[in-house]
Amino acid sequence: MAAAAAQGGRSGGSGGSSGAGGGSSCGTGIGRSGLLDKWKIDDKPVKIDKWDGSAVKNSLDDSAKKVLLEKYKYVENFGLIDGRLTICTISCFFAIVALIWDYMHPFPESKPVLALCVISYFVMMGILTIYTSYKEKSIFLVAHRKDPTGMDPDDIWQLSSSLKRFDDKYTLKLTFISGRTKQQREAEFTKSIAKFFDHSGTLVMDAYEPEISRLHDSLATERKIK
Amino acid sequence: MLSLDFLDDVRRMNKRQLYYQVLNFGMIVSSALMIWKGLMVITGSESPIVVVLSGSMEPAFHRGDLLFLTNRVEDPIRVGEIVVFRIEGREIPIVHRVLKIHEKQNGHIKFLTKGDNNAVDDRGLYKQGQHWLEKKDVVGRARGFYQENRSVEDRNYLFLTLEL
Repeated sequence: MAAAAAQGGRSGGSGGSSGAGGGSSCGTGIGRSGLLDKWKIDDKPVKIDKWDGSAVKNSLDDSAKKVLLEKYKYVENFGLIDGRLTICTISCFFAIVALIWDYMHPFPESKPVLALCVISYFVMMGILTIYTSYKEKSIFLVAHRKDPTGMDPDDIWQLSSSLKRFDDKYTLKLTFISGRTKQQREAEFTKSIAKFFDHSGTLVMDAYEPEISRLHDSLATERKIK
Repeated sequence: MLSLDFLDDVRRMNKRQLYYQVLNFGMIVSSALMIWKGLMVITGSESPIVVVLSGSMEPAFHRGDLLFLTNRVEDPIRVGEIVVFRIEGREIPIVHRVLKIHEKQNGHIKFLTKGDNNAVDDRGLYKQGQHWLEKKDVVGRARGFYQENRSVEDRNYLFLTLEL
């Protein structure tokens, strides 16, 4: 059982890295190996443990992302996420440097380098905390709507959500920033997660998707009126 | 092989999320590592926290007690202090008390140790032909200890003293 799982993980890892470019749109991946198509389960209904708060929030977030990206054909902007990944990578880099340097030059000689690495690591931790608290907040999706005429700057849609621990009220907030006027408009809804999941933990997209569309349209129509 | 349900979460992640999971794990390991290295730098000892492995220091320290060490150059070793030292060629450090010290004018010292609960001094433990220990063998001097109290009434209390 463990060997089979390890094999599946290994082939999935190689499939994931080679098919990363074609992974987001399933239709174009005909030339890729059949293994990759079987690995990706974008179309399978989402089934999670309904008592696990973080799994519920993640699945709701991912589905909201899917709706915005697939239905309205927005383009995802990875800037925020990349920033966080960079900070974490730099921190791990300092840790690895400290580890290797200490191994090559045993302790008393490596003191200055170690001190530098430790201080840098904790400074990076501080930067990461500030970044996630103030810049990223709870935003999990930044999507651009490319202007069809190509002249005006893109409109930006931001999705952020919150689900308190042991609570069932899920709040989803959609923010629209107009490219032209730089105005910001928000809409949000708070609903119990019981409205979107059935008793076995499967996310019912038919109940969830209209909510997202309603949020989106309420912001989009305001734009037309103005 | 590909229909294992518990891998569903992994399959649903794109490469950024996978990388973030790997990084998350790396950060946890790095944090522990950096705290340990930070302690090493602050105390000056290559092993700032050690566990007492034998009963040779009873009744002061029992097996399983944690010791906090410092190894600062400006603190001289004096008779009666508890030092943790490593004998050349042996990996495991030993926790014993300093018995005698010979000190030269230039600050170079050689000292003899003995465990409180042992009948004889440690010359039997030292290397063949070695009669004294030197500063380079020292891992650190005990500054504080953490001992789980064993009495029935006080089982859940922690005692931590810092000798300054």
